Amino acid sequence: MIEFFLIIFAPIIGGLIYGFERVLRARMQNRQGPPLLQPFYDMLKLIDKQAFILNPYHSILGIMHFFTLWVVVAFIILGENLLYAIFLHLLSSIFLILAGFSVKSIYSHIGANRELIAMIAYEPILIMLAVGFYMINGSFEIALIRENSSSIFSLILLFLAFLTLIPIKLKKSPFDATEAHQEIVGGVEVEFSGLFFEFIYMAKWLEYVFIYLLLMLFAGDSVLLGTVLFVGVFLLINLLDNSTARVRIDHLIKIVLSIGLSFGILNLIGLVYV
Amino acid sequence: MFDLKKYRKKSPWILHYNAGSCNGCDIEILACLAPKYDLERFGVINTGNPKQSDIFLVTGPVTFRSRERLVELYTQMPEPKVVVAVGSCTCTGGVFRDMYNVEDGIDRYIPVDVYIPGCAASPELIIDGIVKAVDILESKTKEIEKPFKLFKEPNSEDGIINRRDTALKVGEPTTKEDKKNEED
Repeated sequence: MIEFFLIIFAPIIGGLIYGFERVLRARMQNRQGPPLLQPFYDMLKLIDKQAFILNPYHSILGIMHFFTLWVVVAFIILGENLLYAIFLHLLSSIFLILAGFSVKSIYSHIGANRELIAMIAYEPILIMLAVGFYMINGSFEIALIRENSSSIFSLILLFLAFLTLIPIKLKKSPFDATEAHQEIVGGVEVEFSGLFFEFIYMAKWLEYVFIYLLLMLFAGDSVLLGTVLFVGVFLLINLLDNSTARVRIDHLIKIVLSIGLSFGILNLIGLVYV
Repeated sequence: MFDLKKYRKKSPWILHYNAGSCNGCDIEILACLAPKYDLERFGVINTGNPKQSDIFLVTGPVTFRSRERLVELYTQMPEPKVVVAVGSCTCTGGVFRDMYNVEDGIDRYIPVDVYIPGCAASPELIIDGIVKAVDILESKTKEIEKPFKLFKEPNSEDGIINRRDTALKVGEPTTKEDKKNEED
């Protein structure tokens, strides 16, 4: 029953995390910042705005991106197969990329291109993460991973690799070249407006839920460790976002692949031989 | 059902366009968004994307080259929207008034809701102006406002419309009917 409610309210939980993050980032810069419920005000405003439809596929692919992400989050909450969840998440990103390529805007094309390049950087790490959990627990089932005790010490290098991909997925500095706010005006989301932009906006909240749920898997059955991981990583990511500049997309792929991939492979080899 | 109109007031997203300004007002706008004046406490985000913004902040006395982009950006913004003219140049042309390359303020091209005077407009005034603009935004309908004096009849050569020549010069009659009236 509690899982059912968690799934229904997953976007709202994501929105609260996003709202809290905006307040926290403002406080880190020594200013007041928006109210906690600001993302929901934005959402309610966007319902009332006029929406431009460039072509039907563009709008529908945006909505499909949102719902696929929701299914991914539901999969993880219900404790289904981790590998399924990761590949379904890949599918949801592909919907967004297809939406980006379905319009004529150059910025949308650049954004979709960068999204594809970033996917090459982070997708191997996500799959290695699933493989690492399989080698520890002997199963891809998330319910089983949650029942076992914490595996963070045997997966410490994969955890560090996972930390490098969080800024890419959450569109944070230094790895926010895919969105690049004022440079390519938001990348793939540039042509969405009104109600259809709202789905993209809420998909961003679900991305938060997805990433932090994956992070919780490292804690295993320990609720305390899960809370510590969540708070620590949340603070670390926001501190990094406030204190670093954006790196170029080719540097992004070099940094993430060299650090993440080598750490991940080292950890997997270590799990086999040690 | 609850009224959605009141949420417009809580999240105005800004599009900032420099129509040939000297960068004085632009720096003041950036100062508003920076920690000292912190416009984000009203929910303001500087989006940079016309399709997702509500308030159109314009600086500069519209130069001859920038007027097409000004009107294009205005028409790309979804309704309801509000236009704020920041600085003396944008309101009236300022010190550049009656120069050959300047169009004397944006209200010759698009309807303006709030005028913010000053050279450069101070951050306090800009915040006041945006708060005023947010009040106007709440009372607006979703009816489409047409930018006046926008385009003349497209002069096409061999079926290709030259967009550079379609925007009007100041004082030129807008449509064929206007031309007739003027001739009468």
